[in-house]
Amino acid sequence: MTAPIRAPAGERQTLVQRLYVPLMLSPAIGVLLVLYVGALVFAGLQSFGYAPLYGINKFPTLEYYRELFSAEGFWMSVGYTFYYAFVPTVVATALGVYLALILQKRFRGSRLLRILYKLPLMVPYLVGIGLAIVLLANGGIIARLCFALGLIESTGDFPRLISSYGGWAIMWVYVWKQLPFTTMVVFSVLIGLGRDTEEAARMLGARRSQVFWQVTMPQIMPGVVSASLIVFAFNFGSFEAPMILGASYPNTLSVEAWRAFDDANYSRRLSAMAIVMFVALVSSAILLTYITLYRRFERSRGRV
Amino acid sequence: MPSSHQFRSANPAETTRDSPVAASERTKSRVPARGGLLRSVSLTLLGVLALSTVAFAQPTLPRGDADAAAFRDGFLAGRVTWNEVLARAKKEGTVNWFYWGGNEVLNGWVDRFVIPEMAKLGVTMKASRIPNTRDAVDLVVADNSAGRGIGQGAVDAIWINGANTLTLGQQGALFGSFAQRLPNAKYFDFDPNSVTARLNLFDLGYPTGGRLMPWGAEQYICYIDSARLPPAKAPSEFKDLEPYVRANPGRFTYIKPPHFNGNTFVQTILYATSPDGYKSFQKDRKDFTPEEFTKLVTPGFEFLRRIEPFLLGGGGKDGQRGAPIYPENPVANQRRFSDGEVDMGCGFGLFSVPVRIASGAFPPTTQTRAFPRNGMIVGKNFIGIPNNAPHPAAALVLANFLSSPEAQISKLAIVGYPLGLELSRLEPANHEKAVAAAPKMVGATLAELGALGVPDFNASLVHLIERIWADYIERQSTRPLSQIVTAAFARQ
Repeated sequence: MTAPIRAPAGERQTLVQRLYVPLMLSPAIGVLLVLYVGALVFAGLQSFGYAPLYGINKFPTLEYYRELFSAEGFWMSVGYTFYYAFVPTVVATALGVYLALILQKRFRGSRLLRILYKLPLMVPYLVGIGLAIVLLANGGIIARLCFALGLIESTGDFPRLISSYGGWAIMWVYVWKQLPFTTMVVFSVLIGLGRDTEEAARMLGARRSQVFWQVTMPQIMPGVVSASLIVFAFNFGSFEAPMILGASYPNTLSVEAWRAFDDANYSRRLSAMAIVMFVALVSSAILLTYITLYRRFERSRGRV
Repeated sequence: MPSSHQFRSANPAETTRDSPVAASERTKSRVPARGGLLRSVSLTLLGVLALSTVAFAQPTLPRGDADAAAFRDGFLAGRVTWNEVLARAKKEGTVNWFYWGGNEVLNGWVDRFVIPEMAKLGVTMKASRIPNTRDAVDLVVADNSAGRGIGQGAVDAIWINGANTLTLGQQGALFGSFAQRLPNAKYFDFDPNSVTARLNLFDLGYPTGGRLMPWGAEQYICYIDSARLPPAKAPSEFKDLEPYVRANPGRFTYIKPPHFNGNTFVQTILYATSPDGYKSFQKDRKDFTPEEFTKLVTPGFEFLRRIEPFLLGGGGKDGQRGAPIYPENPVANQRRFSDGEVDMGCGFGLFSVPVRIASGAFPPTTQTRAFPRNGMIVGKNFIGIPNNAPHPAAALVLANFLSSPEAQISKLAIVGYPLGLELSRLEPANHEKAVAAAPKMVGATLAELGALGVPDFNASLVHLIERIWADYIERQSTRPLSQIVTAAFARQ
């Protein structure tokens, strides 16, 4: 920092000094404001009925929200969104911690594994979804293998993993893509910590489970929380996987928003904006709660 | 455990400053900057909002560029010769054609045939491939709202039909009645007294009035895999469909509305279950009362509900709906057919079966099926020129070229899309070429299919059907059908 940000005590700041911080921040804030906040504001306005571009101006009205909340299937859609987001988050985080602990040890092939586990990160989501269709569809490779082995009699007997409300294929794609990510985050935290505290605890007679829950876990908590936060936020708003692999109706909130938006009837676009605002609100609330609980945990550990 | 606040403000600079006066001076000099930042941000936001209100506030169609408007008026009145149009097109130099880009073969044909041929006429064609025709319609509407009229917009020509035509037509956002003034109009029947002209003059019941030039034709056909489903056992009349799905649960499905393929299937069922067939559905929506319409569509929708358990993913028994799977688009539908999950599919595409067998997408034992024999929906699709086309003369030249026998026969041979012009009006040499270019049909013959053609729904009824299907079938609404229909009528 070369430019003077603060004037010496007792002097008024010049114009340049006063504008320095806002100017330095303006590119980042500009992008955030225009692209994110601006879009959110327009979506909000449209959800309250202001859309002269589509020939509709009923501002302000709660009609679209009322219609949304009373729609058959909306709350089921919310439920499915939570379900498809929460389960893969828990699974990916748990498996990620486990995999990170294993990667710490040295064994035959551990160096190769440290490279290989990152491969799904480089594969785009749509390719992963295509992989899920090729593998898991009722006419896919695994089904045909089962048929060849005589385990099933026809394509209808193979359990429906795609286009079902169970969302197995969706959750499989999420875990497949996000496990390397959570592993990577937790692993880098583990490496940074070193093994001293663990060794000390073992020497003092702690069992392996005690070492993990009372020594390792609290230390890697920042990594675990940030990884699971990112993963959950992504899953909650994700569109491609539920769109292609999900059931017809009701699907997740993002898919329902897209379907409303894609309707030839322009007034449905305002319902889509209402869904979008709802998703933004709910996911922010969840993330805020999560972060608050985490901060409380950190404070109890004396780390804040 | 040490309490946390000891670690909080550990900045050495702060703790070594002694005088409270100095501390308050520092905070005083900081506050105005922070308040000013907040104020300027909120002012900018308000300014953006105010500007956007102005930008969105255009209600009527813009007048556009005066020279282009004069050309348009002259052409539509018949004062401009075709050579003058060609010369002006050369001067304009470019044309932007927006069309659905989901067919790779069509895209290849456009790139390798249409663009070079248009270049010979002195016009550079820019093909904008869009995932959904509505995107081009949105663009036209947005340009009109932004005050851009003829000569100033972004879209010169659109491959359009159906509900999209209705949208543009109702807003008056079309160029004008140009179709019969094109030189190649002689290959099309525009006589209002003739039966064959109906498809050229009405797009889903909406009178085109010559504002759209027919480009292609389509018929809604079904296909079966004769290896899995012997043709003798496959349904051919509508009344065979329910026994077929009951005997073979989980081996049939249809594309879901609001995709236009799905709408067409529902329409086919409605035609088959209504006493007057297709005739009842040619009236405009305002000629129906909700009660009349309910009576008309009840048998069809109840049929669709009844067969739900026997579709792909269904429970397999009456009362056990299960989770029926309705593919979102023709690609997903064809995938289930090729993968062996369903034995029969329906969709638009008169020649789709031979084309797909040739490309390997369908198994070689696939056959076209003339189902249902009560009536298979036929329709035409068009090239439309919006009211704010930036290069109107070039757009007219493009429309004329696309309706020429050379372009139509080439499209039939390479892409497999049926001809838009009347085969009977071609010269003998071209007539032979056209017949030879058509892909060889497997299963039902062209004559058989042609005899079963019925016109499509009235365009104003399409949204009603979509909404009723969404409420009654997809959402399994417990409300009676009459209430759903009334609500659908009230929506727009």
